[in-house]
Amino acid sequence: MREFIDGNTAIVRAALDAGCTFFAGYPITPASSILMAMMRQLPRVGGVAIQGEDEIASIGMCIGATLAGARAMTATSGPGISLYSENIGLAIMGEVPLVIVDVQRLGPSTGGATTVSQGDVQFVRWGTAGGFPIIALAPSTVPEAYHLTVRAFELAERFRCPVFVLTDKELGTTLTTVDSEALVAEPVAARVTGAAGTPYRYQPAAAVAPLHEFGRGTTVRFTGSTHDEAGFITKTLPTVDALNRHLIDKIEANRVEIELVDADLQPGAKTLVVGYGITGGAVRAAVAAARGAGEPISGLVVQSLWPVPESALAVALDGVERVIVPELNPGLYRREIERIAGNRTVIGVERLDGELLSPQQIREAAA
Amino acid sequence: MRWAVPEAEFVDPGTLGCQGCGGALSMRLVLKEVGDDAIAVLPACCWSIIDGPWPTHALRIPVFHTAFETAAVVAAGIKAAKRRQGRDTTVIAWAGDGGTFDIGLQALSGAAERNEDILYVCYDNEAYMNTGIQRSSATPRGTWTTTTPDENPEPRIKKDIMGIIAAHRIPYAATATAAYPEDLARKVRTAMEARGGMRFLHILAACPPGWKVAADQAIEVMRRAVRSRVFPLYEVRDGRHYTITYRPEPVLPIEEYLGLQGRFAPFGADPALVAAARREVDDRWAWLEEQHERSLQPATT
Repeated sequence: MREFIDGNTAIVRAALDAGCTFFAGYPITPASSILMAMMRQLPRVGGVAIQGEDEIASIGMCIGATLAGARAMTATSGPGISLYSENIGLAIMGEVPLVIVDVQRLGPSTGGATTVSQGDVQFVRWGTAGGFPIIALAPSTVPEAYHLTVRAFELAERFRCPVFVLTDKELGTTLTTVDSEALVAEPVAARVTGAAGTPYRYQPAAAVAPLHEFGRGTTVRFTGSTHDEAGFITKTLPTVDALNRHLIDKIEANRVEIELVDADLQPGAKTLVVGYGITGGAVRAAVAAARGAGEPISGLVVQSLWPVPESALAVALDGVERVIVPELNPGLYRREIERIAGNRTVIGVERLDGELLSPQQIREAAA
Repeated sequence: MRWAVPEAEFVDPGTLGCQGCGGALSMRLVLKEVGDDAIAVLPACCWSIIDGPWPTHALRIPVFHTAFETAAVVAAGIKAAKRRQGRDTTVIAWAGDGGTFDIGLQALSGAAERNEDILYVCYDNEAYMNTGIQRSSATPRGTWTTTTPDENPEPRIKKDIMGIIAAHRIPYAATATAAYPEDLARKVRTAMEARGGMRFLHILAACPPGWKVAADQAIEVMRRAVRSRVFPLYEVRDGRHYTITYRPEPVLPIEEYLGLQGRFAPFGADPALVAAARREVDDRWAWLEEQHERSLQPATT
């Protein structure tokens, strides 16, 4: 069956299919329709949806609910992510599975509430104190919004960390014809909770212990302070070091497991276009048009933005002399590409006026 | 009868407000009394849109469009620096119910506790209208919104913001609505005379799209809110001395307020909701009358 839905709707459907049982959010354009749909639909399947009095309350409720057994999601846009900041850090430190949808709009500040942007790409990565890693997925189509949201719940459970689904005003609120058979997913496995041993484990650093929930037989201690494996606050230097290296390694050492890209590589092509999110559509169209004109070209749409999919990028960069990176921001992800592109030429195509990039603009940069 | 509302205009015609916007009209009336030596601080709310882009913007006074949760404190900062310049400019924090009852409450409480010399106006349309009619803690029990939809209308009573404000013991607080413009204008005047400390005006502002009323019924629906005692008009001095400024006679049955608005459709399906609303209104009015009577007694403290 064909349906006419937007990205926000696909995300809500994915959350319900993935077993989301708790949602809290606060009105903000262009993410409000996720809140509205969750308030309507989640109670009907036995879940809980709450409109908070602000963004701080909303993410705080999600963290609390997760520790009490819920599978939680929240959704907002740039100004709301700003207010989430402290609690993103809390979720990282407390190793809380949590899905955070950021329907990006043009910033900074109020910016353009009804205007597309990809300006939060680095913000979600570095948006809380300390510089510790998170995971971020960026769908480029409505079906991808569905599947990457389901994947976000899997990754949140697997790595016990905040996972961002980074969309934008256009993907979130533009109605698109989709094949509903493409919007199905296997249920995300029930959480394996631990009651034995300690709620945190730092050795080996890349391993992730099962979450201890409140009320399952052990006295769970949860803190945003540095803590030992039992959850007690500690200043013991080797323990603090082990904790922090664990928070890094559990994601960085497992980056290959997280990597997701849509690679369309042409043998012998000297030009590679790397895009993500809503700009992925223009990348695919530009690649198709160039090939139609007899110009060899490769395309790569990054779906797992953080950690940077360096293995897939290395494959795509092999034999390439220059990389085009189109983005709706001042070249924010281009710096990641430059970091791993060696001596290849990296060309940014940037749009900051709140409109989408066209395939033609990408082709002109590739000319 | 002398028309007690000044003729001066500080809001140009052609705002981006919806037809019948109570918020746009409230600003127009308030500024008539405040005058043009004033700065408006607007957080995210309908008025951050209503003012409009150049050259069709409406406000003739300077505007500071601030972050959602900061209207009261940014106003306080501006006022402090203006005072340092030796200027007594009126700084108005002008926020909706979301920016006052919900996300802005902490800043509002902080400013009130410090008794900041600002005029805080909440134009209350009883939901997040600008983002598409989501409930706020100012939404009355039984109301349909897009986040209290279908079989789940708003389950809780409206937050008592005037009670919260009164608890801060600020010099002057009052309720008003544009359906009673002379009452509103007099209260703005009183607030201006009480300068030196925090002043708070709680203005009920009809929202035709959000309340599901015809645009030409906006004034009527605000009038009925007062005549049914759903929205009593009163003022509070120093958080303790209450004066009811208008006693509707006869009192309009609450059904005639509720029935005018599509957002109250859940009341039609549930007579118990109407009875509960009537009880709340009666209890509230009785409590206000007690406060009014008490305030007439000689001070004992």
